Amino acid sequence: MTLRPLHHRLGERVEDIPFTASDGTRLGLTRVVPDGGAGERPAVLVLHGLTASADMFTLPETRNLVDVLLDAGYEPWLLDWRGSCRLPYNEGRVRYSFDDVALYDIPEAVALIRERIGGRQLLCVAHCIGALCLSMSLAAGLVTGLDGIVAQGVFLTPKLSWKTRARLHFGGELLRSRFVNIPTDFKKVGLWSKHSLIFAEVSIGAECKDPTCQILHNDSWGVGGSLFEHDNLDTRTHDRLADLYGTVPMWILPHLRSVELAHTMLRFNDNDGRYDALPKNALDNAGKIEAPLMLLSGSDNRFWFDSNKICHEILTARYPQLDVRYVEVPGYGHLDTFIGRNAALDVFGPIVDFLDECRTVKAGR
Amino acid sequence: MPEAGGGSSRNPSVNRRPEEEVIERRRPGRAQASDLLARLRKPAVPATAPAAPAAARAAGARGVDQVAADIAAQAARFLPGASTGVETDLFDAGLSSVDAVELVALMARELDVRVSLDDLFADARPRRLAQRWAAAAGLPVTGAEAAAPAATGTALALRSGLLPADDHRASAPQAHEDIATILADLALADRLPFSRQAEPAEPRRILLTGATGFLGSHLLLDLLRAGDAHVVCLVRAADDAAAEQRLAEALAGYDQPWSFEVRRRVTVLAADIRQPRLGLSEERWEELARDVDSIVNVAAAVDFLRGYPSLRQTNVLGPLLLAELAMTGRPKPLHHVSSVAVFNEVGIEKMGEDDPVAHIDRLFAGYDKSKWAAEAVLRRAREHGLTVTFLRPGAIGGHTRTGVYNPADLSTGLIGAISRFRTVPAFKFLNLAPVDWISRITAAIVFDPKAWGQNYNLTGRAETLPELVKDMKLAGMNVRIAGWKDWRDDLLRRQETDPVPELDFLVRILSSPTAVKLFEALMFGPEAGSERTEAFVARHRLPPAERYGSEAQLKAFERMAENGVARLPSREDPPYLSFRERMKGQVGPVGEERDSSCRLAFTLSIASMYQVVRHRRIDVRGQVVCERIHPEPLTVVEGEIQVRPDEGVPRLHSNDHPLLRYRLVLEDRDGNRWWLEGFKTARARRDLWKQTRTLDIAIGREGEPAVLAGVVKVPGSSFLPDQIDGIQVDPRLSSQEQRLAKLAWLSWFFLQMGAGLAEPSLRAAAELLDLRRDAIDRDKDKLARKIRKLMIQREQNR
Repeated sequence: MTLRPLHHRLGERVEDIPFTASDGTRLGLTRVVPDGGAGERPAVLVLHGLTASADMFTLPETRNLVDVLLDAGYEPWLLDWRGSCRLPYNEGRVRYSFDDVALYDIPEAVALIRERIGGRQLLCVAHCIGALCLSMSLAAGLVTGLDGIVAQGVFLTPKLSWKTRARLHFGGELLRSRFVNIPTDFKKVGLWSKHSLIFAEVSIGAECKDPTCQILHNDSWGVGGSLFEHDNLDTRTHDRLADLYGTVPMWILPHLRSVELAHTMLRFNDNDGRYDALPKNALDNAGKIEAPLMLLSGSDNRFWFDSNKICHEILTARYPQLDVRYVEVPGYGHLDTFIGRNAALDVFGPIVDFLDECRTVKAGR
Repeated sequence: MPEAGGGSSRNPSVNRRPEEEVIERRRPGRAQASDLLARLRKPAVPATAPAAPAAARAAGARGVDQVAADIAAQAARFLPGASTGVETDLFDAGLSSVDAVELVALMARELDVRVSLDDLFADARPRRLAQRWAAAAGLPVTGAEAAAPAATGTALALRSGLLPADDHRASAPQAHEDIATILADLALADRLPFSRQAEPAEPRRILLTGATGFLGSHLLLDLLRAGDAHVVCLVRAADDAAAEQRLAEALAGYDQPWSFEVRRRVTVLAADIRQPRLGLSEERWEELARDVDSIVNVAAAVDFLRGYPSLRQTNVLGPLLLAELAMTGRPKPLHHVSSVAVFNEVGIEKMGEDDPVAHIDRLFAGYDKSKWAAEAVLRRAREHGLTVTFLRPGAIGGHTRTGVYNPADLSTGLIGAISRFRTVPAFKFLNLAPVDWISRITAAIVFDPKAWGQNYNLTGRAETLPELVKDMKLAGMNVRIAGWKDWRDDLLRRQETDPVPELDFLVRILSSPTAVKLFEALMFGPEAGSERTEAFVARHRLPPAERYGSEAQLKAFERMAENGVARLPSREDPPYLSFRERMKGQVGPVGEERDSSCRLAFTLSIASMYQVVRHRRIDVRGQVVCERIHPEPLTVVEGEIQVRPDEGVPRLHSNDHPLLRYRLVLEDRDGNRWWLEGFKTARARRDLWKQTRTLDIAIGREGEPAVLAGVVKVPGSSFLPDQIDGIQVDPRLSSQEQRLAKLAWLSWFFLQMGAGLAEPSLRAAAELLDLRRDAIDRDKDKLARKIRKLMIQREQNR
């Protein structure tokens, strides 16, 4: 198993930590060592979304999340969980579900980081499916003792538009039975491929000519929705979207479908004793979340829409003891909250402010 | 707060209690200036009245200088910490419009100096007020010569020693005085040096004024977003730390970030564009001239009541000073945020970007004149070689995403008045664009050297009357169209009888003979042409100008409603639409057999379509008959139904998706209060019709857990007669509007019910689909078939 090297301009400060989950899956864990050493800096575990990778947090062409965290006095730890495009699993034929991520990848990465950082604080910033899986780990009580959590896009209550629901859950069934996965890089597909029909479909009505942009922005994987606001990306980022977002595995569809139709993070593997540690319904067990939680979303998120706003309302009503807040970033979509040209100004600022607050609260205890 | 009525110590015999009470009743942020205005409109007390104060009787004996000094002393009570001299413009010193109303009252009472509020707004220097009063009273208007106004004028003007000498024109009509002052101000531009054009390079260090304002705060962030430049903000404050604090507070007030990431790219300097060298040390002035490579001027005194003399320091001499800075050392482009107010001549036919601006003698409001004069001096600066860009917004609407709006913008007052009184003046076009669009386009122009030196009308896409009326109709907030004068008279009448403090500023504008002309020009002006802006937007693939319609202004409108400026229809208003719902069933103690009958008779209503589409809420009134609680019917005191609460997320520890949630507060005949909560839920069953009519309820005493639970149901026979045929629409609407209301409601409601009922069935269908073989299984089969075929072929070949 090979892990594609991280794309960054951090030089020698990047340390790759060998990390294999207990089910035998090799994952990627990267620590970015601050200049002058970690000292007493709190560690921040950063989780990417499905088909993305830790690359989305180290964009060399813009001021990225890792730069901001380092400057703000944190030590970033980047986990490439099994849905990462730096890993080969999405292009392979061995199925996994989000249960595996919630049961193995995240809790074991947290345990490993804790071993390395000793008594220092640990916070977490999670994006999209990374945040969805984290919500299950938290509800299961497998990840405890975090000092603050930022969840972007979606957390416990996924919600898509009706158009995307129809196309993803039922139209997607056609794709699931015919494609093991759908690549986002047209160069890998070629013109005469069974995937080229999907690229043709997503190009309808597109203003941008880049096929990768079309499959992410114009019509996400042919199921409707849009993953970012086009104008928010730096041209250089736009031109390497194919490196940042890889192949999407179709076998993940049933789990994704079940959680979205229920509008709740659910365990998928019902009759498998290995997954008994996970609750059937994460939302019903959200009371186990101890850490302050910031739910973040772009005001123009056209994939998960107001999922996090709804999540905030429900958590506030059902679990009034939770410290949960909702922050909406004006003018942002979904992916651009992390890879946008101005994400440092508009998104990372509020994230760091929140982390600082969590840090202060802890120090004051 | 200033010490209201403090003058009583000077003449205890005067009964000032009524006015003092008016002032004292004023709550922070909710100034009741209309009360004071009403009081001021009363006929003046005759000079011979026995109650006239001694000071007043002696007023005529005082000279202009003494009266001016007395006025300055009275004004100082409103301006703690500010030095108030006879030549100080009181508005520049911080006097608010509400303070101005009170000051006029105090001057009349304490000094027997009676000037109108318009006089004060026209020129708020104590000496000029004294001269006006003296001229009106037939007294000599000249006093000792004013000291040289060292604190006014541009650095340029100070160097040349040229300042408009206007004191001798005390008795001339205000319009002529203004024109004379404007001409003198224009002449100042001739003193500018000559310079080369600015180098066409993307700026790296930008000087920004007005960052604490509505547009400026948004522009600051957009400048940071548009490139990698560092921005130096000039903010009026005692020192740099206070300036930074003031900027941080202003940004927070406009929902703009002031995070570590913003701070690292912004430098804040304490400065004042009304002061020589911006109030900076010579060293700093030189440093700015050397380091800054672009100047963006947003700072302006935006007050439609104040006269030209009161606004010229900030709005005319300020830009002139920035022009001088731009021409000092390396030439820098100056991007000046002007306004389409430069076209505010009633009856003007065209407002294109390069069309001639209004005739100055046909402008009435001081604000319009000051924006006109600023462009005129900067056009002269262009002729001296300076690269000057004019950016002209019209009305600036609230942010389309955050809803932050400018309370002082005319469009805010207009929207507030329309939503409250449901009457709209018959305007032609409203050149109105949201602040986020204006700010973003402005920042893009600042970063594109090819765009510099031109005029841009940042007016977006003009709003028209039919579009506005249609939007209001769709939201269920139908409006009536009225002629402009009738609308204004009606508004003033309403404000007099039932004042709305949040609309005071609009009323003051509509009552001012000069400011109303500005409003009139806004109502009847043509659509501003913006071909160059459109071409620029297209070239840069920026968001094109879109109509600032109901959807775009929704969040701003909601904020206005929260703050009391606008008004959303509420439960207390006559309903837009209502119908009956009757249910009956059985209840019993929680966990036990349901043994007692329970009947619910409700009237469900909505106040507007906005209420249901945006908040999914239906209001409930009516009665509950439940003998287990009380032998007499219980009245619904408060009640609402939430349609698909939580967007259909299943209830806690349940797989059922909620369709409707009823939450009521009931009161029995003995005055005891009870709560009732009920859910209609969707399940994956075939009895969909039953699901939409069945309500699971729980009832308990207020603040206590449930004591009764049960199920009630809408009888199938009463559903259609009550809930479809029985829909009552507001009778004030026309028959066509009533049909539209009914259809809109039914379409929306049934769509929601359909979506809600589909949820559990879709989940069941998906579980079935999960059992299908996916591509991996199929590929395995294919591979197996291929291998088998090969084996067979091999066998046959043998």
